[in-house]
Amino acid sequence: MSDGAASEAGTEDGTPGAASPDDTDAVPDGGLPAMGGTVPARDPGRLGRVTARLGRPLVVGTVLVTVVFLILPVVATFAASFAHDWTGVLPTFVRDGELFTLTNWKQALGLTETVGAQRGLGGAWRVFGIPIPVTIGFSMGLALGGVFINLLVGIPIAYAVTRYDFYGRGWLNTFAVLPIVPGIILGVAFLKTYSNLPSAVGLMIGYSLLKAPYMVLAVQSSFESMDLRQMEESARSLGASWPRTFFTVVLPNAKTGIVSGAIVCWTLAAAEFNFSYIVYSSGPKPFSLFLFENISNNPFLRASAAISIYFAIVVVVTALLQALGQRGFELGGTR
Amino acid sequence: MAERVRLDGVTKRFGDTLAVDDVSVTVEPGETLGLVGPSGCGKTTTLRTVAGFETPTEGAVLFDGEVVTHVPPEARNVGLVFQSYALFDNMTVRENVEFGLKMRSLPKDERAERATDLLELLDIGELADRDPTTLSGGQQQRVGLARALAIEPRVLLLDEPMTGLDAKLKRRLQREIGGLLEDLDVTALYVTHDQAEAMVMCDRIAVMNDGVIEQVGTPDEVYERPANDFVADFVGTSNRLAATARDGQLDFGHATTPAPNGDEGGVTVVVRPEAFEVGAGPFSATVRERFYLGEHVQTVAELPDGESVTLRLDPTEAPSQGEQVSLALDTDRVHVLSES
Repeated sequence: MSDGAASEAGTEDGTPGAASPDDTDAVPDGGLPAMGGTVPARDPGRLGRVTARLGRPLVVGTVLVTVVFLILPVVATFAASFAHDWTGVLPTFVRDGELFTLTNWKQALGLTETVGAQRGLGGAWRVFGIPIPVTIGFSMGLALGGVFINLLVGIPIAYAVTRYDFYGRGWLNTFAVLPIVPGIILGVAFLKTYSNLPSAVGLMIGYSLLKAPYMVLAVQSSFESMDLRQMEESARSLGASWPRTFFTVVLPNAKTGIVSGAIVCWTLAAAEFNFSYIVYSSGPKPFSLFLFENISNNPFLRASAAISIYFAIVVVVTALLQALGQRGFELGGTR
Repeated sequence: MAERVRLDGVTKRFGDTLAVDDVSVTVEPGETLGLVGPSGCGKTTTLRTVAGFETPTEGAVLFDGEVVTHVPPEARNVGLVFQSYALFDNMTVRENVEFGLKMRSLPKDERAERATDLLELLDIGELADRDPTTLSGGQQQRVGLARALAIEPRVLLLDEPMTGLDAKLKRRLQREIGGLLEDLDVTALYVTHDQAEAMVMCDRIAVMNDGVIEQVGTPDEVYERPANDFVADFVGTSNRLAATARDGQLDFGHATTPAPNGDEGGVTVVVRPEAFEVGAGPFSATVRERFYLGEHVQTVAELPDGESVTLRLDPTEAPSQGEQVSLALDTDRVHVLSES
């Protein structure tokens, strides 16, 4: 449109007069005085020339070496958990004609009657003679309980901070995303303040407090990536009450953040050692203590089995949370 | 019949800021009223007040003669279309359109039928099962419009709906949607900062500035007979020249033309760029700038008193830069604002 030029002309009354002959001399062809090709082309330098040639192979090589370096111990540990022993350079996988053994896994899971089995995940229930490692379920439940509390508390905080402007909003935001205190301090404080709390409840609450920032941050970034207010107002104008808008439009659209927040929170809660070590007294044992007891004072192969179990469970729970999140939102939303 | 929407002395304060100042305006059934003004003039706050997202500090909002000032948005039956489209990404296009009908507990098959009809009407029938995130801006805006129209709103509220689109698509959608709103006899409130868009889309235009409505009128009234300096400047391109009216003549100091009305004394004469003509006339001017724009040439010329005027000339008769020309003024096309 031509509006711009015209309104300028209307306001700047003296413009034509200002373009005096002096100005015209200084600016030949109407361009800048220094535009005569006097700026030299940039010299990349020796380092620049070398990196230009070697840059790509260098990056690929570094990535490969790093990946191998990181993956190798995991693979070795996983393999070793099935070995009979590891006294030489390589673990022994074949003994007495038996290829691999599950003994280490059974011991770690507390499924065998061997000495130290109670140190694993405690006793196992037997269904028709088959041992079931129920305590591992409780262990996972502790971390899941923490995640559940985080969902209940973290989502509303993330929503409020993103959506509304209110007194103390900055402070709430800061406190919610502050990686509050080290687990050990929180643990001592808990013992002092709530000495009569069952340790399972204490652990769940503590996990949720310690991991709350991850939930709030993940959900908040999801909320911030959409036009929350206009989306909400569209739903309201279409006849949805506020609660209905929240559950059918706002939450499903924050799905990615909620699911990833839950996964991160669970994984970190399951691995939280300091707080668990201090607060745990009785009942189902937290996951990290299970790991700890299997690693300290135990043969390396049993520790390997425990670590492998931990890995497997993380993978399974992550997949479950993903699937559950997907399914849950499909039920909650309209799809 | 009574007006569809009436704002009665609506005032909205946010703390110390006065966003909307005693606005009274009506929207007739089937009419599209444009709310135009620079950003921060209170037009969006006014729209949000009609939608029910803002409660006026003073004044009342009436729908069909009934006071709805404190009725919550979900009970007002208004359709909303935003610049950001604000589609629900967790639902398909069809589910988006059906959302409002679902909230009204319409049976499933009826919802599906309505949605199909609307999507066809907006020429996006084939996108029904797509995810909104996979659509282009123009397509998303059509979905947003279909969703808002699905509930047969008492009034459709559009907040800068075309601002994010490129110029060509914008013009096409303006024509299409303007025609659609008319065909469907939709009552609409159309907020935009783009006065040209408002002139295409709206039956009447309310020009807002600083929370106040400066003028309400049809596009040609607002353009040809602006109520004041602000409207003359905001709507279209205008030259505003100071003159003295005396004995049926306008005296510009360096030139005199017949006056279009009987004003006396100091006046501001609003001259649209197309009211000037090159040829024998009382104004002598020097061409300072010249922009070739295809269908016309926009020229900035300097009058003897140093004042610059913008002219819109036919390419065949446009003078070149630096040329000295005589300008005639079509006095039927000038508007005189008396000094107040």
